[in-house]
Amino acid sequence: MIDFAIAYLPLYLKGALVGLGLTAAAMTGALVIGVAVAMGRLSQNPVLRYLTISYVAVFRAVPPLVLLYIVYFGLPAWAVAMESDVLIAIFSPLDNRLLAATLAFSVNAGAYVAEIVRASILSIPADQMEAARSIGMTYPKAMLRIILPQAFRTAFPTLCNEFIIILKGTSLASVIGVTELMRNAQMVASATFRNLEAYVLAALLYVVLVILLQLASTRIERWMGGRGSAARASG
Amino acid sequence: MHDTSENRPVLRIRGLGKSYGNVEVLKDIDLDVERGQTVAIIGPSGSGKTTLLRCVNFLVPYDRGEVIVDGDLVGYRKTAAGLKLQSDAEISLKRQKTGMVFQRFALFPHKSVLENLIEGPVQVLRQPRQVATERAMAVLGSVGMSAKADAYPAELSGGQQQRVGIARALCMEPLLLLFDEATSALDPELVGEVLAVMRRLSDEKRTMLVVTHELRFAREAADRIVFMEAGRIVADLPTSVFFEEPPTPRIAAFIAASLGK
Repeated sequence: MIDFAIAYLPLYLKGALVGLGLTAAAMTGALVIGVAVAMGRLSQNPVLRYLTISYVAVFRAVPPLVLLYIVYFGLPAWAVAMESDVLIAIFSPLDNRLLAATLAFSVNAGAYVAEIVRASILSIPADQMEAARSIGMTYPKAMLRIILPQAFRTAFPTLCNEFIIILKGTSLASVIGVTELMRNAQMVASATFRNLEAYVLAALLYVVLVILLQLASTRIERWMGGRGSAARASG
Repeated sequence: MHDTSENRPVLRIRGLGKSYGNVEVLKDIDLDVERGQTVAIIGPSGSGKTTLLRCVNFLVPYDRGEVIVDGDLVGYRKTAAGLKLQSDAEISLKRQKTGMVFQRFALFPHKSVLENLIEGPVQVLRQPRQVATERAMAVLGSVGMSAKADAYPAELSGGQQQRVGIARALCMEPLLLLFDEATSALDPELVGEVLAVMRRLSDEKRTMLVVTHELRFAREAADRIVFMEAGRIVADLPTSVFFEEPPTPRIAAFIAASLGK
């Protein structure tokens, strides 16, 4: 097992790096989607509210693997079949495996992040918004400068958890040929027929990655919990 | 009579009404606050005092009547078809004429004291940061908090936080200061320092509308007392008249109970 690990570790690490990069890209996309959807859910506008509630309902329900198939195999082929230049221009980039995986995981995680962000915004005392409005801020400015920075601190541990969930989910991207950790483990397994070693090594690397991420998030959390943290402010 | 900027009231409220569902929390309120006056709103809990105050800067949208600050209708525009709700930007612009001090201070916990003070002037009034900072430091000095400019709200006592809350409102140089039970959340020994600041602002002839349970403060600092009960203004009298000749037995009893006589 030790010899095996030493021989294939570089390949596994390369895969882990791809997985981390994919996770970071998907998390960025999920944050953009999540904040936008959370804003819609909290809006006074019934159409926006209805649309964003539907988004969360739908994309929390569709399994990420199904979404991945739709995005990678479904959409580009559909665009070609429609013979529409516009559709082809929009969807042909999804022929790129990494791009397709990033989109699928962003859309999926975006639904969860939206709920995390919404809950954090609602946890900020109402008088924060009132105080921001009382000094003449418009609603968007008050959101951006007063509410969201505080909500982000509240949401941070849960967002880190979401990051870890996405990371583990990137193993699904192996099915469309993204050469991340799981895909590389599969290649090693089929080349060496040492299935147990190949997948246990992958599992170990996931464990190490997740532990490192948890350590980092605890550090950042502690740093944010210092001066100016909402948690310490009280009457 | 012409409403020139010199003689028109800073605040004029006519026929103001507000309901939550079937519950009428404000009924036909008329109230004027002249320039330089301190008006105290008192009354039992649930009488609508705080809602009235929040209607003045449109944190609570009202349903009926008019709220006019410095000659401008707040929150609505008059059209041929009736009143039309103004846009967020228009309402925010009018809100700059009023400054509000909150019961639970509502300082921004992720910003230092100085950042709390310059947030409005820099982000809303578009003052250069340096100008806003100089002005904020002067205001901070006037409430005795210069030494805490770099502190965060969580590092301050309640009384200190509320003095910063008052300073934050003052930094916007509002025409009208609104106090929403500014000392109710404080420990008893911290009430005095906040009332002292409010007292001084009143002596400086700032225009102030003060919802308070502190009847001693009202008696010493207010020019007029407005007594509310069940969503109505029951009495609106000069302070000395209100306290020396309470208009109803109910008010006399309220004064006696509140002053602990």
